[in-house]
Amino acid sequence: MRETSRFLATTVVTAVAIAFVASPLAAQERAIAIRGGTVVPMDGPAITNATVVMRGGKITAVGANVTIPAGATVVDARGKYVLPGLIDAMTSLGIGSGDLNEPADPVSPQLRVFEAFNPFGDFGSGTSGPLRLHELLGGGVTTMYIAPADAALIGGQGAVVKTAGDNLAAMSLRDPAAIDISLGEPPRKAASAKQRDPATRMAEVAMIRQALVRAQEYQRNKAQNPSLPRDLGQEALGKLLRREIPARIQANAPVDIRNALQLAEEFGFDLVIDGAANAKSQLAQLAARKVPVILGQVSHPYVSNEEIPDKSDYPAVDETLPATLTNAGVTTAIATFSRAFGSLAPSGSSKWLLLDAGIAAGYGMTEQQVLQAVTIIPARILGVQDRVGSLTVGKDADVIVLDGPPLSMKSWVERVYVGGELVHEKR
Amino acid sequence: MKHTRYHAATALLALCAAPLPAQQLLAVRGATVHTATGAPISDATILVRDGRIAAVGRNVSVPAGALVIDATGKVIVPGFIDEHSHIGARPTDLNDRPMIIGPQHRIRDALDLEDPDWKDAVKGGVTSLTTGPGSGENVSGMAIVLKTFGSDLSKRILLEKGGMKFAMGPKRSDAYPATAMGVAANLRQYLIKTQEYVAAQKRWEDGGRQGAPPARDLGYDAMAEVLARKVRVRAHVHSATDVMTILRLKDEFGFDLTLHHSTEAYKVATEVAKRGVSAVVLPLGSRIGVTDDAMKGPFELWKAGVKIAMHTDHPVINQKWLRLSAGLAMRYGLPEDEALKAITINVAEIQGVADRVGSIAVGKDADFVVMNGPWYEPRTRVDLVVGDGAVIYDRSTEGK
Repeated sequence: MRETSRFLATTVVTAVAIAFVASPLAAQERAIAIRGGTVVPMDGPAITNATVVMRGGKITAVGANVTIPAGATVVDARGKYVLPGLIDAMTSLGIGSGDLNEPADPVSPQLRVFEAFNPFGDFGSGTSGPLRLHELLGGGVTTMYIAPADAALIGGQGAVVKTAGDNLAAMSLRDPAAIDISLGEPPRKAASAKQRDPATRMAEVAMIRQALVRAQEYQRNKAQNPSLPRDLGQEALGKLLRREIPARIQANAPVDIRNALQLAEEFGFDLVIDGAANAKSQLAQLAARKVPVILGQVSHPYVSNEEIPDKSDYPAVDETLPATLTNAGVTTAIATFSRAFGSLAPSGSSKWLLLDAGIAAGYGMTEQQVLQAVTIIPARILGVQDRVGSLTVGKDADVIVLDGPPLSMKSWVERVYVGGELVHEKR
Repeated sequence: MKHTRYHAATALLALCAAPLPAQQLLAVRGATVHTATGAPISDATILVRDGRIAAVGRNVSVPAGALVIDATGKVIVPGFIDEHSHIGARPTDLNDRPMIIGPQHRIRDALDLEDPDWKDAVKGGVTSLTTGPGSGENVSGMAIVLKTFGSDLSKRILLEKGGMKFAMGPKRSDAYPATAMGVAANLRQYLIKTQEYVAAQKRWEDGGRQGAPPARDLGYDAMAEVLARKVRVRAHVHSATDVMTILRLKDEFGFDLTLHHSTEAYKVATEVAKRGVSAVVLPLGSRIGVTDDAMKGPFELWKAGVKIAMHTDHPVINQKWLRLSAGLAMRYGLPEDEALKAITINVAEIQGVADRVGSIAVGKDADFVVMNGPWYEPRTRVDLVVGDGAVIYDRSTEGK
């Protein structure tokens, strides 16, 4: 008995000692309770005067009648709003301007965007870690999808990353997360400028179809004869054909959306449509086939990375599109399609994801629908809903605290937790 | 007096369409009116006669025969004004690349009044603006200040010579000048040649017009008006260094100047302020997430005494979302009334048309916007837009 308690005492002392030495981990082990705020968990209705408890990097309790663990760090959130970290489901952030488009081949499924992801800052400056993308965190964005820009037809493999982490590997949430494809003007124009294909929409579809037919042949031949040489591009497309990852196809003009649906039907892959500015033209199809869409900014739906996008792919600005799609049963996320504008705007429009999405609340969406379109819905589309997107027990403790109603121009994100760690505070 | 409910009245107006007949009176009652030049007036009435504001205030008597719109609970602001747009011109018509200095170019000659963007602008409450050539050249030409509505261009124009566009800093790597030094030297040389051109003309005039007149050059003609301070310079500028270069050129040549984009102007705010130069500032709506440091720029410039205006740079962001730019500047310290001025009266003053537009004041054009909540909130909707005294947008009849 005495021996046991001495042993226990020793382990406690050791644990405390370790806690002092290895502080990041220890900070996570200690519970944090955000108390008294209006909690908007996304997996259910908002709860007033509620508490969110996190420990070990995960959410451990959410509700109005939560017992705060002894020794917990308590954050007073009375009068504030507590939400899951936001998700920007389409960006090219953290990618240097020279790395946005690989011009070698318009069909490049072997490329991995994660290998261009640089959260360390400009060459010769920046940080070694822990990595904190403060401009994004300040906007409440804790998870984002990153992809090459849209000049290539098959641009490569996109990834889902967090916006804070102790190191690069810790930021990665899902890689690869999708095969990234563009239809319409951007790949056609980029190729035309180089006097090569795809110079037309006909060539765009034919080249994708040819690539997928080759990939089918490769998978078949490789299964029959494993000693065949490996091909990284074919392996990536194999994941698409086996439905391990979806295709993210940027399609805005009605013909491009139709072509994306057609290709998905022919090859049986899972499809997500990016941009979808003319989605109203295929509303019934999208709903019936359960194809999710990721819209661009509500105020600026031109998703191309061109400064002045080619408007021929787009209808007039239509702020009712998110509500129309959502109410028709189409799984609809709102994203920003950001790229950095040098050091002036390293987070592109992503830091204003919430404010811009808030416009949709004036155009037929409920506040809850808007918030879901930047949290739980993109989490599901990105296939990371078991980790992020709602304040649900067991999910990652990615939590933001706002000082006012989430969709108001006057509200600020005051605190951001990623994996239970306080990674950003408003200055 | 006809007392009609809001929707019925606006529907009726929409049917009547176009400007109100001469002497017809319109009264909009019950809203909180932000005039842009004074404190908000709650439960105010705006009386419009012949397209102009005839009265505004709490105790305005509405004459018999006036058409009354009940706007109780609404917010009314002056029609929004954008000092930097490219609306109405095709992107391929904005930059005449072979001509690195082309002051003879006029955006008016590329203007498409059928562009659907104009109607969209009105939906966002934008009733007048400056649209101009791009920034691909050192000097790209003459802008125009006009209203966003109406089919007759001559009636829409507020100021025909709306400013000469300069672009500071190198814009192209494939053509000269490719450095900031080259741009400055190019501009200085052209301005000096303009002075010489003007002097030669004057010599000929003073000499009793002896012999053949000096050959005219439309570029120098246009730039001569800049030197005579009949036309202001609108200078595209980002870095603090380029701000200082255009300020030096102003010191040397004495032209009137407005900075555009003005990204780092806050770093030299006192230099800008002491010359009485105004600044059109970032952000561009919610499209470009300018760093928090730079986002304080509008506030810093205002604090230093610089008159500021927000912009859209349409089509970089959509014309109708001008108010988002002002709302975002508010987040970073700019007071609400100053943010509203930056998309109304300040802009009109910078454009030189504040006698016509920019505030809700007696005698000015009746251009105003009825909204269903605070003007700066993203979710707030524009319910009604009055332009030159007529209802030019009515949400209640949209799609009907």
